[in-house]
Amino acid sequence: MRAQFVLVPFATLGIVAPAHAVVYMSVAQAQAMMFPGATFAPEFKTLTKQQVSAIEKASSVDVHNNDLKVWRVSTGGWFIADQVVGKHEYIPLALGLDAQGAVKAVEILEYREAYGDQVRNPAWRSQFTGKKHGAALTLTKDIQNISGATLSSRHITDGIKRLLATYAIAIAQD
Amino acid sequence: MLSPSLRIERARPLLGTTVSIRVEGLAEAQAHRAIDEAFCEVALVHGLMSFQERDSDISRLNRDACFQTVEVHPATFEVLHWARRIAEASDGVFDITIGPKLVEWGHLPAPQSRYAPDPEASWRDVELGDDYSSVRFRRPLWIDVSGLAKGYAVDRAIERIQQFCARQACVNAGGDLRVLGPDEERVALELPMPQDALPMLTIQSAAVASSSGHVQERIHDGTIRGPHVDARRGAPIPTSRFACVVAEECLIADALTKPVLALGAESEGLLRAFGALAHCHDPTLGWRHLPKDAA
Repeated sequence: MRAQFVLVPFATLGIVAPAHAVVYMSVAQAQAMMFPGATFAPEFKTLTKQQVSAIEKASSVDVHNNDLKVWRVSTGGWFIADQVVGKHEYIPLALGLDAQGAVKAVEILEYREAYGDQVRNPAWRSQFTGKKHGAALTLTKDIQNISGATLSSRHITDGIKRLLATYAIAIAQD
Repeated sequence: MLSPSLRIERARPLLGTTVSIRVEGLAEAQAHRAIDEAFCEVALVHGLMSFQERDSDISRLNRDACFQTVEVHPATFEVLHWARRIAEASDGVFDITIGPKLVEWGHLPAPQSRYAPDPEASWRDVELGDDYSSVRFRRPLWIDVSGLAKGYAVDRAIERIQQFCARQACVNAGGDLRVLGPDEERVALELPMPQDALPMLTIQSAAVASSSGHVQERIHDGTIRGPHVDARRGAPIPTSRFACVVAEECLIADALTKPVLALGAESEGLLRAFGALAHCHDPTLGWRHLPKDAA
């Protein structure tokens, strides 16, 4: 175990990307991983007003987008690519369902949460204005991790609840 | 040929937060297998130790353990064993029987229970059997292990990846993380309030956990109450405080953030007992690094 603590003054820090953004995998990679060897037939749908309100009623979660990206899997089951509203940003995720509509796998495709609320705070951000010199650290490339108060993944679990209601209302019944 | 720089990272919602797992230096299929198995370890802990889920070991204990002996999974027993050791070493500042306070303040939903918890109950009333599986409560109480289960899950995941001989790996459960391998990694620390400098740790083969209550503040009886309790006094810990603990194992780092938040400099002995370091921030005192002689 080795650990060293430093306080990096913002004046010497050229932060290029204030948001912590990680791309974990593409939709195609998630498909191949959840259903190895299968082929995927797109059955994209636009949810009707009635379906949206039924989904919202069943899941108690708002539907922000009525376009549903769903694929029928050749080996049985469904694959949905969707996004949930995070604290500030959209978080794309993939949901694999088996032929009975039970969750087979969930993978977060990208994570774009900001380095807390600090970067949303204009006073905090103004510190970086015109300060591009010095060792440029990017929060994504050079700082691999952030540790702070644990952020809840409530928005993601709510999103999955909404997609399961969507499956019951708009996919299974078709 | 295996590319030495091949780096695969994935994330799933588990333990009430986002858990990401990164593996470097394994062939792609092997890396995904290692990550899949590591996620299984995290999911196991999630299923066993949730306060909310009805069929978890913790819910079964909170329902029945004050009437009869309850058999739990070895992983649950291990977490309860560590909870006891840390409670003992911290003289009860760390205490998993604070469940009722967190329910009262709105941080946890009330469990399905046939009894009201005894306000006098403490960690001493959680009786662990010699068989490493049976648990009994001596008084009516509710336990909540979310103060160390996340760290334990990270340790189990890292240990699983270790079996695949990855060159470098990191398991991060919403900021409680453990890094394995020869490379140094940087960890930015996120404080409750904007600062004029970025606090950053450079670590190698170590675990880091941070706590601060500001994200989960609740108002109860007209005062702000975060999710952390000074168990000796049953009082909320001010949400403007921040504590980061570095240790070999993430369970230790995760658990010790709470007594460090409560005790500040008085937690030095506790940190020494577990070979840990802490970096604490308080709006009036600024930064403090503990133990003081640890560089």
